[in-house]
Amino acid sequence: MLGSRKQQYWLYGVLAVALVAVIAPFVWMVLGSFKTTGELRQSPPTWWPETATLDNYTQLFARLDFGGYFTNSIVVATAVTAGNLVFCSMLGYALAMLDFRGKRALFVVVMTTLMIPGVVTFVPLFVLVANAGLVDTLPGLFLPFLVSPFGVFLMRQFILGLPRDLVDAGRVDGAGELRIYWRIILPLCGPALATLGILTFLGSWNNFLWPLVVAQTEQSYTLPVALALYSTGQNSTQYGLLLAGATVVVLPVLVVFMIFQRRFIEGIATTGIK
Amino acid sequence: MRRPTTTALVLVASAALTLSACGRAETDGAGGEPQTGTDVAEGAADGTITVWAMGAEGEKLPDLAAQFEEENPGAKVNVTAIPWDAAHDKFTTAITANSLPDAAMVGTTWMGEFAGLDALDPLPENLEVDGFFEGAQGTTEVDGTSYGIPWYVETRLLYYRTDLAEQAGFDEAPTTWEGLKEMAKAMQTEAGAEYGIGLQAGGTGSWQTVMPFAWGEGAELTDGEGYTFDTPEMLEAVEYYQSFFDEGIANKSAPAQPTTEPDFVSGDVPMFISGPWMMSAVEEVGGEGFEDKYSVAKIPEGSAGSSSFVGGSDFVVFKSSQERDTAWKFVEFLADPEVQATWYDMSTDLPSVQSAWDTDALASDEKLSVFGEQLETAKAPPSYPTWEQVVASLDTELEKVTKTGADPAEALKTVQQQADSIGTGQ
Repeated sequence: MLGSRKQQYWLYGVLAVALVAVIAPFVWMVLGSFKTTGELRQSPPTWWPETATLDNYTQLFARLDFGGYFTNSIVVATAVTAGNLVFCSMLGYALAMLDFRGKRALFVVVMTTLMIPGVVTFVPLFVLVANAGLVDTLPGLFLPFLVSPFGVFLMRQFILGLPRDLVDAGRVDGAGELRIYWRIILPLCGPALATLGILTFLGSWNNFLWPLVVAQTEQSYTLPVALALYSTGQNSTQYGLLLAGATVVVLPVLVVFMIFQRRFIEGIATTGIK
Repeated sequence: MRRPTTTALVLVASAALTLSACGRAETDGAGGEPQTGTDVAEGAADGTITVWAMGAEGEKLPDLAAQFEEENPGAKVNVTAIPWDAAHDKFTTAITANSLPDAAMVGTTWMGEFAGLDALDPLPENLEVDGFFEGAQGTTEVDGTSYGIPWYVETRLLYYRTDLAEQAGFDEAPTTWEGLKEMAKAMQTEAGAEYGIGLQAGGTGSWQTVMPFAWGEGAELTDGEGYTFDTPEMLEAVEYYQSFFDEGIANKSAPAQPTTEPDFVSGDVPMFISGPWMMSAVEEVGGEGFEDKYSVAKIPEGSAGSSSFVGGSDFVVFKSSQERDTAWKFVEFLADPEVQATWYDMSTDLPSVQSAWDTDALASDEKLSVFGEQLETAKAPPSYPTWEQVVASLDTELEKVTKTGADPAEALKTVQQQADSIGTGQ
């Protein structure tokens, strides 16, 4: 398969180096969260905490209204992910499988918006949200992101790869479009939905600028905003607190990834036709 | 046959998107005659105001605001703490969408920009706020109009290891340019230091270390009409700064995030120039007893004396405020010498009001009082809206000067050209 055994050793060697490069900063973050500020800034740096301390974590939970920020983050990221999974796949289905006037143009428009960087639409979007009276509310944090051009593109491309015969068969059996979408197409979109779900959740979970600008009081802050608030000063940064916070913030993302990653490697959907 | 329609649609769509992105109305700049705000009503404050403050200040300000509410039973102050990261973006977005708070703490270098956007209310004449350090007061002024108060200040000093200085044969801090260089050299030859002094080798913010020397030489960054970077005084300072790197006294390849504290504690780099926050930072790394091993001194004098960079934060009231009078009264409260001293106890932010420095906590601290002295002559950069943009080019040129030995005169000429083409923005 992969040629000689020697080649395989090579491959594993390269992969091992890459793995260390990817994991090392992560390990550093977790270990660093147990160090004192003095030790963190020590030179040469230490890997293992010399005097392990839980101070950073006690501070994190004592100073921050952690539960509140955590809930906000979960609500926003879940809503955005759910919205993307539903709406992007709907639009993707329409663009891939239905025939209607202006379909091509619609797709090109979606692609065009994909080309426009977020910074350009940032201020107009904020003005819209402000005029709708949604500033400082949780809906203001997730409503504008319920559908994304990238998600639509991803779903369309994936659904295009599904056999059209499935849809036709459904129509012959008298199923409506919604039923075909929901009962035939969606179940086959597992891998694409998993990819979209992970990417969207991650993006929303880590999003900093939008929640910072829209949330006007601490009650609607999300975790990244709260973390930046408490750990970064005008001229100095509390690295211990930052690392402890980052460690805690990473956990939910890991959980989401664990849930979805099995679907990544599941079989290709086209096996539906024999 | 479908193609033309498609193309047209795309064009319309992208045009609409582009237009909506740039659809900010032109506002009148704050140019022209100096202004003062309309008088604030007499009597106690009432009503509810919203205040934004960044970082640790935002976290601690509610405690101080409680005192204001006690003195003005009808008033309520809601403080929102916002992170320093991207705080500037939050403000500019809020200005565009008109969703500003009543009053806010803002960075000193943002004043020109916000005033230029017509967002700030000029300081009312009947407000009792005065006695600020001159350089700090300057940060609130844009084109002659004052738009608020300096809330707290910081300035840059020379940090040095007293024990190593003694070993190198110096029992006092240097007061002249030559003295500083001699001492830094001696640190290397006599006290085993790797580099005599830690100076930023160009890059973001390095102007804050160069300008104290240039100001000490009498440099002015503006002639009232435009930027003036290409001056003999600036050249002297940049040449002097460069010589530290050329002669190997400062590290050319210092990382962008320097390890200042550990290097200072280990004695590898026993001198550097920075602000008051570094005191707790080096003491934290140095451990117990380290506070006796170092000291701070004023920036060595140029031909025009000793100067430094004054930073900190200002406090402003926005034009859009519905509770303008209450907001200004809160600002007046913050500028009270006693309140300033209380705030120092709460936050360790240095008072911007000179008389607040007479209180015990500040006057009795040897190191802090040096900051107080330096603040009397410390200066702020011009408050033009384009300052941040212009100074970025100075930082870039300084990097060439320190790292690759580029000609300082050429570098300043380049900065001047870029500054001229960008303009003051007023």
